[in-house]
Amino acid sequence: MTYDLATIAPELFLLVSAMALLMLGAFRQGNPTGLVLSLATVATVITFVLVWLQPTARELAFGGLFVRDGFGNFMKGLILVGSSVSLIMAWRFIERENMSRFEFPVLMLFATVGMMMMVSANDLISLYIGLELQSLSLYVIAAFRRDTLRSTESGLKYFVLGALSSGMLLYGSSLVYGFAGTTNFNTLAEILQQAAQAGEAPSIGLIVGVVFVMAGLAFKVGGVPFHMWTPDVYEGAPTPVTAFFASAPKIAAMALFARVLMGPFAELVAQWQQVVVAISLLSMVLGALAAISQTNIKRLMAYSSIGHVGYALIGLAAGTEAGVRGLAVYMAIYLFMNLGTFAVILCMRQKDRMVENIDDLRGLSRTHPLMALAMGIFMFSMAGIPPLAGFFSKLYVFLAAIEAQLYTLAVVGVLSSVVGAFYYLRIVKLMYFDEPAESFDQPFGREMSLIMGAAGAITLLFFVFPSPIVSGAEAAAASLLAAAG
Amino acid sequence: MADLWTGYLWPAIFIVLQIVAILVPLLIAVAYLTYAERKVIAGMQLRRGPNVVGPFGLLQPLADGIKLLFKETILPAGSNRIVFVLAPMVTFVLALVAWAVIPFGPNQVIADINVGVLYLFAISSLGVYGIIMAGWASNSKYPFLGACRSAAQMVSYEVSMGFVIVSVVLCAGTLNLTGIVEAQQNLWFAIPLLPMFVIFFISILAETNRTPFDLPEGESELVAGYFVEYSSMTFALFFLGEYANMILLSAITAVLFLGGWMPPLWIPPFTWVPGEIWLALKIAAVLFVFIWVRATLPRYRYDQLMRLGWKVFLPVSLGWVVLTAGVLVTFDLLPQ
Amino acid sequence: MVVQALCFYLFSAVAIASAVMVISSRNPVHSVLFLILAFFNAAGLFVLMGAEFLGMILVVVYLGAVTVLFLFVVMMLNINVAEMRQGFLQYLPIGATVGLILLVELFMVLGGWAISPEAAQVAQVPTPPPEQVSNTAALGNVLYTKYVYLFQASGIVLLVAMIGAIVLTLRTRTGVRRQNLREQSFRTRDESVEVKKVQSGSGV
Repeated sequence: MTYDLATIAPELFLLVSAMALLMLGAFRQGNPTGLVLSLATVATVITFVLVWLQPTARELAFGGLFVRDGFGNFMKGLILVGSSVSLIMAWRFIERENMSRFEFPVLMLFATVGMMMMVSANDLISLYIGLELQSLSLYVIAAFRRDTLRSTESGLKYFVLGALSSGMLLYGSSLVYGFAGTTNFNTLAEILQQAAQAGEAPSIGLIVGVVFVMAGLAFKVGGVPFHMWTPDVYEGAPTPVTAFFASAPKIAAMALFARVLMGPFAELVAQWQQVVVAISLLSMVLGALAAISQTNIKRLMAYSSIGHVGYALIGLAAGTEAGVRGLAVYMAIYLFMNLGTFAVILCMRQKDRMVENIDDLRGLSRTHPLMALAMGIFMFSMAGIPPLAGFFSKLYVFLAAIEAQLYTLAVVGVLSSVVGAFYYLRIVKLMYFDEPAESFDQPFGREMSLIMGAAGAITLLFFVFPSPIVSGAEAAAASLLAAAG
Repeated sequence: MADLWTGYLWPAIFIVLQIVAILVPLLIAVAYLTYAERKVIAGMQLRRGPNVVGPFGLLQPLADGIKLLFKETILPAGSNRIVFVLAPMVTFVLALVAWAVIPFGPNQVIADINVGVLYLFAISSLGVYGIIMAGWASNSKYPFLGACRSAAQMVSYEVSMGFVIVSVVLCAGTLNLTGIVEAQQNLWFAIPLLPMFVIFFISILAETNRTPFDLPEGESELVAGYFVEYSSMTFALFFLGEYANMILLSAITAVLFLGGWMPPLWIPPFTWVPGEIWLALKIAAVLFVFIWVRATLPRYRYDQLMRLGWKVFLPVSLGWVVLTAGVLVTFDLLPQ
Repeated sequence: MVVQALCFYLFSAVAIASAVMVISSRNPVHSVLFLILAFFNAAGLFVLMGAEFLGMILVVVYLGAVTVLFLFVVMMLNINVAEMRQGFLQYLPIGATVGLILLVELFMVLGGWAISPEAAQVAQVPTPPPEQVSNTAALGNVLYTKYVYLFQASGIVLLVAMIGAIVLTLRTRTGVRRQNLREQSFRTRDESVEVKKVQSGSGV
């Protein structure tokens, strides 16, 4: 048992610190929010170190309910980066926007624990519980500004649709359990392999179950046609929360998607590949087309995230090691571009109020040249212009798709990224070639500049030092595939 | 034919006889509990109490019962008739069905089920429905307020009651009520678990809506709370149900903490008395405290009531469960 | 056996009938009351199957706590069912289609129920035979050992739900004079009582 506890050490540490911070917040006199928020950030950083120190050898804990492997560690690292940066971005925001309550960072930590549990799930039950822990915390933080209509609306929408998707996931899981007789991923893989070796066709009920599970997961990553909640939730939620939504939960859900499909259901690749291809195609096209007419930058980012999910799913659709590597690289680079962009959005304040219109960025190059430069880098990178990081992330997934002979996907992907480039470049045009609008409030805060600078540097210089991310992703993909094979 | 008799009919008749054997004394006890309450309170307030009907007023409960029976049943015009009539029945029936698992002696129990404690807990948690239904169906403000208060109160105190029961079960090692009584062979649980015993007793005061927690029917603020609109037999059923509930919860207290049917000491003058009598005596003692509390204490304010339940009893009982478990494990006293 | 069969049919018939009433009754409070009845009968079915612990817990948790609060909310809100039914016919086709698909799938699951022998082999061993261990003990044995991870994780989910409910609803009102028990208990006579000598005939 003690051995098991060592395996889940990072989760355990984060969980215990979340509960300790809850107690601290509840019993400390005065307003403890600032303290709890900074300690929560420290806790995520320490957890990141703990994940770093975890061995990458695959190991099961708690009777096969939990798995720790290189893939999980890589994804958990990304998730923790996402949550700690979102926490830092929230520092000033929650004080200014009158949502200074200590439950906010605590719920973020609980959500992060849920994501880490999702990534490490090795059983349909632990998958579901991790997912619920994450979603429940996210519903609450989406509606955290309960006195504004849009925030409560976004929380409610997220909750209702999220509950629906959990229902689908559970229905699918029960079908899988009914036909396979187990919920454990290893056993499922074993059963399917044996059936395949015996030359039996997989039962229809099982496939229906897998499709339902995939529908539930597609909901969580926000892929078309399960994307309806994304724009409203992104727009309504407080901006640091949106930044969080667009980074960590996406990565966790995507990692879970990969683990479920490449692990227990690896044998059914012929069946699930069509579904993933369809989701990926639709997401790319819709993400590119629907974003064009947006005027609100958070809504734009929502459609952009739908598009990025589509590209990342190309890697999964390939169903190969190269594909999973592409997925991992894509998610890592997406994380940094996205956090940087949201740092810029968080700085968009005029007369002490947040502004969210794309037009408010007009002439940014003249009022805030450095910020405009950073934003320009992120936009070019998201559009996939070489030699920025976004180009390489797309390159990896397209190469994997071509290797797996999914030419349609690759072609549509390239075409839709050309369409997508239109609206990313429109922002660049607004910033550099239009007359300046009113300038933004100063100062932004040193941490914002730091985040923008770091994210910009990573995006810009990825092609010089690609190895940390690429080799990490490679090891992660190898460890996921090794377990399945 | 003989098969039908021995296989089905006789067991059915036997069960009915058992039920009658419990219910008849129970209903008589309920009637005389009202009498006892009035006499005891009168004694504490230096009055006489009922002394006109029959010798020492002993026929007073009968007179009251007959009076209620012959009054007119009034159904308020805007009420929801079915639910309105159903509510007192629910209260009454729930107060009776719980007796199925109360052991009166070794092997003297109608249903000796494995999860007796849970059954009792389940039934007592259902009790709130009779009150909510009554309050809602009356379509009147006072009853509804009373019902709201009562529901919140009963749900709150059930939590700490649950923890108390958990600590008793930890000490007894079984959920079976006979087993719990037998585990108290040498030492009644009231002694090692004294704080839990106190919490349990106070919680059952709240659970039965008795003074000092009688806010749901606080006559000075809510007229009579959830049964303002009730009259005649429907009122009588509520009344009977409530008093039967008091006796039931006293019996549960006796079984969980006071050694059930066992004598206090295993030496001759005590062992001569049969177990049923011991149980009855213990129930009577607890009921006396019920009445004593009513004669002594004023009513709690509502926020004080909630504070006591959630901020005092819940942490204390939770802590005590952990402590009990810790002590049992550390000193290797866990029952097998 | 006959008695058991009779009980089974009684419980399941009442459960199904009340479930139908839950969705078809005009008054939402009646719906909840029928829901209670349905739960109660489900608990009865559990007991019949020999899972008495689950049956009792169903009553304690669902009837004793969850549905009470549910009933409360429904009673407080004035829900007009007729108004809510307005779109009923309009959405009936799509709703019925989805329901039909789910039903067909359910039949497929039951009809095509064939666990391969390998699956049966590797599937985890279920509970021990009921003659040896009561189901309460059996549940306790696996819940705190084999499934401790899930058990604790579910506990955290509930904790988060509680925090969420508090965050979204608790409002600290200003201008409320709260009772401070400590202050009250430690109040001395000097702070609260002032003795005044009043000259007779002159008032205070």
